[in-house]
Amino acid sequence: MRAGLACLALVPALAACEGRQSVLDPAGRDAAVMAELFWWMLGGAVILWLLVNGLMVYVSRLNRDALSVRAATLLVVGGGIVFPTVLLAVLLSYGLSEMPRQLAPGTGLSVRVTGELWWWRMEYLPEGAETPVISANELRLPAGSRSELRLGANEVIHSFWVPALGGKTDMIPGRETRMSLEPLEPGEYRGQCAEFCGDSHALMAFGAVVMEPEAFREWLEHEATDAAPPATEAARAGRAVFLAEGCGSCHTVRGTPADGTIGPDLTHLAGRTTLAAGVLPMTADALKRWIADPRAIKPGARMPGFDHLGDARLDLLAAYLEGLE
Amino acid sequence: MFWRQPRDRSLWHMILAPTIWALHFVLVYGVTAVLCAKWDAADLARLTIFASTAVALTLIVAVGRGAWRQWDYLDGWDDIHDRPTDNHRRRFLGHVGFLLSLVSTIGVIYVTLPAVFVETCR
Repeated sequence: MRAGLACLALVPALAACEGRQSVLDPAGRDAAVMAELFWWMLGGAVILWLLVNGLMVYVSRLNRDALSVRAATLLVVGGGIVFPTVLLAVLLSYGLSEMPRQLAPGTGLSVRVTGELWWWRMEYLPEGAETPVISANELRLPAGSRSELRLGANEVIHSFWVPALGGKTDMIPGRETRMSLEPLEPGEYRGQCAEFCGDSHALMAFGAVVMEPEAFREWLEHEATDAAPPATEAARAGRAVFLAEGCGSCHTVRGTPADGTIGPDLTHLAGRTTLAAGVLPMTADALKRWIADPRAIKPGARMPGFDHLGDARLDLLAAYLEGLE
Repeated sequence: MFWRQPRDRSLWHMILAPTIWALHFVLVYGVTAVLCAKWDAADLARLTIFASTAVALTLIVAVGRGAWRQWDYLDGWDDIHDRPTDNHRRRFLGHVGFLLSLVSTIGVIYVTLPAVFVETCR
């Protein structure tokens, strides 16, 4: 009884299925098809449940006489063989007819996404481009067209999933898998690694931003440029700290000597909606906390802590990184 | 061989249809995997699937017809065969064989359905 009440208490929580990371709140063509299919399945399951239980009430309460052999045979053959066979064939056919559409090739942009421990390398290849625009931890896509996603992984398996936009696809070290997405509504969504990949699997997320095509084109052009030079005194001092501490051996900031590729590209870090792969807000305070002790936020993270820098130099670093728009 | 044995003795007649279904399954999955992995030959894979499905269904229908005759249902509309006699054993095996051919028909069709809709190896 108490467990039942506890379950009832969860209902309001389940009702919060709208939002940035919900299958039931689709913002793309593929997700919309799956959400619709879910509601049909749910409706069908409810009807079936009522039918079966109604039948049980009928034979055990309303009419306890034995059924005629004819009626019983009809029930078993009709309800037990013909009905499920036909229904499953219809559902299977619908699902199969939808599959090629969800895997259709993209029509312009292609993004190579690589799962790392525990962040996402994003490389944008607009139609016809040969060198990719390198970014990280945020996927931006133009609304209204189908974009190609080429998925890979380093070291361990991951799975790419933006519930509001479409289904999930495994990312496997040593081979390239692919999927395509057709987002329809501009807005900010959230992606999440959907295959257990180690300590910080649950903290491996990313922002997914769908933009109007024109705005996306401008964003990508900006993303391809080098980092803006520091604008304030603090930011200039912060860049000196960044380079002196050797941050550039793991991170790239294009336009500076920092050209490491082990960690995420930071050229336009402050332009992203989140920090540390969807875990922290993009604020000076969060930047300081992250740099001082990444593993306190993300267990097992490869980045070492820089708490020896002290508050003053962390402030300078944050000022520099915040200016990388 | 089993087809020489009297039908009240051999279990082969009963499980022939599911055996065809199983062979069809293995053939379809094996051939598709090899054709797609080595040559990306989706059209050839689909053709093989449809051809082997036609063959499998024809064989299963033939087996089902034999089983239907063995059951001899229309002779007395009798679906209870629980006595330890040759006649009852024969009809029981026919009855089961017929139902298994129905299941195998559905199974073979379901195995083929993806090839109807999915036209590439991806």
